Amino acid sequence: MTTLITKTITKICIPLVILFSISLLLAGHNNPGGGFIGGVMFASVISLTYVVFGLKYIKSFFNPSWDKWFGFGLLLSSLTAFGAIVYGHNFFRSLIKFVEIPLYGEIELVSAALFDIGVYFVVIGTLLYIFKNVGEDE
Amino acid sequence: MDSFTVIILAIFLPFAAAIFIPLLEKFLKHRIGWFAAGIAFLSFALIGIVAPEIIHGHIIQHSIEWMPSIGAEFSIYADGLAMMIGFIASGIGVIIMSYSNGYMSHKEDLPRYYQYLLLFMGSMIGMVFAGNTLQLFIFWELTSITSFMLIGYWRDKPASIYGATKSLLLTAGGGLFMLAGFILLHTITGSYDIATILQNPAMIENIKAHPFFLITLILILIGAAAKSAQGPFYIWLPNAMEAPTPVSAFLHSATMVKAGIYLVARIHPIFSGTEAWFILVSGIGIFTMLLAGFLAFRQTDIKAILAYSTISQLAYMMTMYGYTSYHEPGLGVAAATFHLLNHATFKACLFLVAGIVAHEAATRDIRKLGGLRKDMPITFIIASIAALAMAGIPPLNGFLSKEMFYETSVEMGHILGGPFTFLIPAAAVLGGVFTFAYSIKLIDGIFLGEKHHDLLPEHIHEPPYTMLIPAAFLAGLVILFGLVPSIPIHNIIEPATAGIVLEEVHLHVKLWHGLTPALLMTVITFIAGLTIYTRYDSIAAWQDRFNVKYPRVSVNYYYDRIVDGAKGSAKGFANFAQPGSIKLYIYAILFLMVILFAIPAFMMATQVFPANLNFDIPLYEALILILMIIAAIAAATLHRYLAAVIALSAVGYFVSLVFIYLKAPDLALTQVLVETLSTIIFLLVIAKIPQTFKEKIPKTILARDLVISSAVAVTVLILLLNATQGIVSPFESLSYYFLENSVPLAGGHNVVNVILVDFRGYDTLGEISVLCLAALGVYNLIHSRGEGK
Repeated sequence: MTTLITKTITKICIPLVILFSISLLLAGHNNPGGGFIGGVMFASVISLTYVVFGLKYIKSFFNPSWDKWFGFGLLLSSLTAFGAIVYGHNFFRSLIKFVEIPLYGEIELVSAALFDIGVYFVVIGTLLYIFKNVGEDE
Repeated sequence: MDSFTVIILAIFLPFAAAIFIPLLEKFLKHRIGWFAAGIAFLSFALIGIVAPEIIHGHIIQHSIEWMPSIGAEFSIYADGLAMMIGFIASGIGVIIMSYSNGYMSHKEDLPRYYQYLLLFMGSMIGMVFAGNTLQLFIFWELTSITSFMLIGYWRDKPASIYGATKSLLLTAGGGLFMLAGFILLHTITGSYDIATILQNPAMIENIKAHPFFLITLILILIGAAAKSAQGPFYIWLPNAMEAPTPVSAFLHSATMVKAGIYLVARIHPIFSGTEAWFILVSGIGIFTMLLAGFLAFRQTDIKAILAYSTISQLAYMMTMYGYTSYHEPGLGVAAATFHLLNHATFKACLFLVAGIVAHEAATRDIRKLGGLRKDMPITFIIASIAALAMAGIPPLNGFLSKEMFYETSVEMGHILGGPFTFLIPAAAVLGGVFTFAYSIKLIDGIFLGEKHHDLLPEHIHEPPYTMLIPAAFLAGLVILFGLVPSIPIHNIIEPATAGIVLEEVHLHVKLWHGLTPALLMTVITFIAGLTIYTRYDSIAAWQDRFNVKYPRVSVNYYYDRIVDGAKGSAKGFANFAQPGSIKLYIYAILFLMVILFAIPAFMMATQVFPANLNFDIPLYEALILILMIIAAIAAATLHRYLAAVIALSAVGYFVSLVFIYLKAPDLALTQVLVETLSTIIFLLVIAKIPQTFKEKIPKTILARDLVISSAVAVTVLILLLNATQGIVSPFESLSYYFLENSVPLAGGHNVVNVILVDFRGYDTLGEISVLCLAALGVYNLIHSRGEGK
C-alpha cells in the first residue's frame, strides 16, 4: 500500500479531488452533487493519505481537530434552520434570491446551500474523526 | 418598553447571560460571580419596574403566538403571586450569587456553577410568570433539570450523583403527572390558558362539577407534592443537601421547593372550596409537617436538620393553602403566603450560616460543633435571629405568620366541628413544638455550650464579608418584617393573596393583637417545646433504635428497591437484546427483512413471477452483470482477506456502472464514493489482523448461512421483479410532487438534492445530528475499552 506509485498518485490526486469535492458541493442544487457526496469525497482523499503515508506522518504536519469540523457543520445547519425564524418565517423555511453580478450574469442564492455546506462539514468531520480514532487505536 | 417586554427580559436575561459566562470568565476570572449577581439584580430590578402596576391591582397579561396548532400561546400572566415569587427568586439570587464569591473556592469550575445558577433563576422566573399550563410545565421541568445539575455539581462524588438522580426522578417524574393533570384540565375546559380559566367563574364551576375533577386534582397535586418534597416524596430533599451550600440555600429552601407551593396557590381558585381540596392538600400538609418535624431530631448534619425543617415548613404552607370551606374558600391563603415569604428569608439565612460554619469549622456535624459564640459572635447573632424567627419568637417575622397559622387552624377546626375543633389546632401546635425544639437545637448545638477543642480547629474566625453581609442582610429582613409588618403586607402579601383569591384583600397584621386563642397556643408551644428540648437526645436515640429495628418502615427503602430493581431489569433486557454477537444481529436483521418484504410482496403481487419478463438484455449490460456475479462469488470464496475485500468492492463498483448505464449519475457517484470509503476502512482494519482465514468453518454453519443468504436473495429477487409490475401501490407516489415543485418552490433542478436539503431538511438535520453522535460514540467506545473490567 505504501509503494512509490501509490504515494505519487495520491499526491497528485489530493488537490484535484478536494477541488472536485468543493465543486460537487456548490453544484449540488442543480447538477449531480451535494453536501453529502462532496463531503464523502473530501473524506476519502484525506483518509487515503492516512492509509498511504501513515497516520503518524500525516499528523506531524497536518492535524486538524475533526470534531470541530462536525461541530461547526451542525451549528451552521441548525442556524440556517433557525435563521428563518429571525425573518419571521416558520422554522426551516428556505429562501431563494437571484442576484445580478456585473460581467458574470445572474446567480442564484439559496439558503438551502448554507444548510448543505453544514452537511458537508458534518460528513467530513464525522468520517475523518472516526477514521483517526480507529487508526490511532492500538 | 411595555410591561410585557420588561417581564420577558427579566425571564430571558439570565438565560442569555448564561451563554456568555464562559467567555466572560476569560476576562473576569474568579470575579465572574459578581457578574452573575449583577444579572440577578437586573432581573430583580426589571420585576421592580412592573411591581407598582401589579400592586395597584392590575394583572399584566399578554401573549404571542407559539404553538398555534395545539392552541398554546406563549403568554405572561403577572399577578401579585407571580410577582412575589419572582422577587424571591431574583432577590435571593442576588444574595446567593454574591455569597458564593466567598464560599466557592477559586479552583472550582466556576463558570459551570454560575451558568447553572443563572439558568435555574431564569427558569424559576419563567415558571411563575407563565400564563399557560404547557409553558409552566416546560419551565417547571427546566427548574428540575437545573436543580439536578446543581445537586450533582461535584460530579465525582457518588453521594452527589445519588442525590441528583433521586431529585430528578422524583421532581421531574412528578412533573409528568402534573402535565397529565394539565391535559385533563384542557379536556374539561378546552384551554391551556391560565387567565382564561381563572377569569371565567362559569368555567371553574364546570370544572368542580366535572367527573374528571378528582383525578385532575390528584395528578396536579402529585406534581406539586413531588416538587415541594411533601408526603412520601420528601425523601429527595435530604439527599439534595449534597449540593454546594449556597445552592441548598437558593434552590432547596427559598425557591425551587416553593414551586410546588406556588402551583397549589395558582390552582387554588380552581379547585378550592371542596372537600377533596381540604382532605388532599391539608391532609398531606399536616402529615408531612408532623413527620418531617419529628424526623429532624435524629439528624446530625446541620444541613440535614435544615432539610427536614424545610420539608416541615413547606408543609405548613401546604396545610394552610388546604384550609378551605364553601363559604370561605381562601381561609388560610393570606397566612400561607406570608409564611412563604418569611420562610424564604429566615431559612435561606440559616443555610448561609450553615455554609459559614462548614467553611470555617470544616465540619457540619452537630455532635462535633459547639461553643462557637466566642469565635464568631456576628455569625452567632445572625443565626440566632433566623433560628428564633423559625421557632416563632416575637418580634421576628416567623412569629407573625405562625400566629396567623394558629388563628386559621382554630377557625378551620370550628368550621369542621366535632373532634376536629381540637384536633386541627392540636396538630398545628405539635408542628410548632417540633419546630421550636430543632430551632433551639441549632443555636445550642453550634454556638452554645463548650467547644470541643479536640474535634474542631483551634482558630475559628468570622468569615469574609462577602459571606457575612448576605446572611446579615437576610437577618435584617427577618427583623424588619417582624417589627414593621405593614411593609411586606401592603406591598407583597396583599397583592399576592388577591392573585390567589381573585378579589381585593385587606389584611391587618400586628405584633400584639390581644389575648387570643392563637396567643395561648403560642405560649403552649414555647413551654412544650422547651420540655421536649430537654428530652431531645433521648428522642433522637429512640428514632435511631427504631430505624435499626424496622429498616423497612422507610420510603427510602422502597425507593432504593425500585431504582435498583429497574437497573437490574434494564441490564437483563440489554443482555437479552444485545448478546454481543454480530452474527446474531445479522441473522435478526436478515430474518426480519425476509419477513417484512416477502409477506407483503406475496400478499400484494398478482403473481409471484410475472409472466411477461423482458429477457432482451444488451451485451454490455449482460457483461457487467456476469462480472458482478463472478466478483460476488469470489468475495464469498477467496481465502485471503485482502483479495476478498477487493472482490467485494468490485461488486460495488459494478453496481455503480449499472447506475451510470441507467442514467442515474447521482446514485452512481454516491455508490462509487461510499464503495471507495468502505474499501479504505477495510484496508485500515485488515492491516492489523492476520491476512488469511485461519480456522475451518464447519459444514453445518456453512449450510445454515447458505440457506439464510439464499432466502434473502430470493426475497429480493421477487421484490425486484414485482417492483415495476405486479404490485399496485395503494398510495399515490410522492415523487410527482417533488418533481413538479422542485424548481418553483426550492429553485433547484437536482431533485434528489432539493429533497435532502429543503423538502426533507428536517430529516437531514436529524441525520447529521445522529452522525455527529455516532462519531462521539465511536470515540467513547474506543477510549473506554480499557477501563472497567
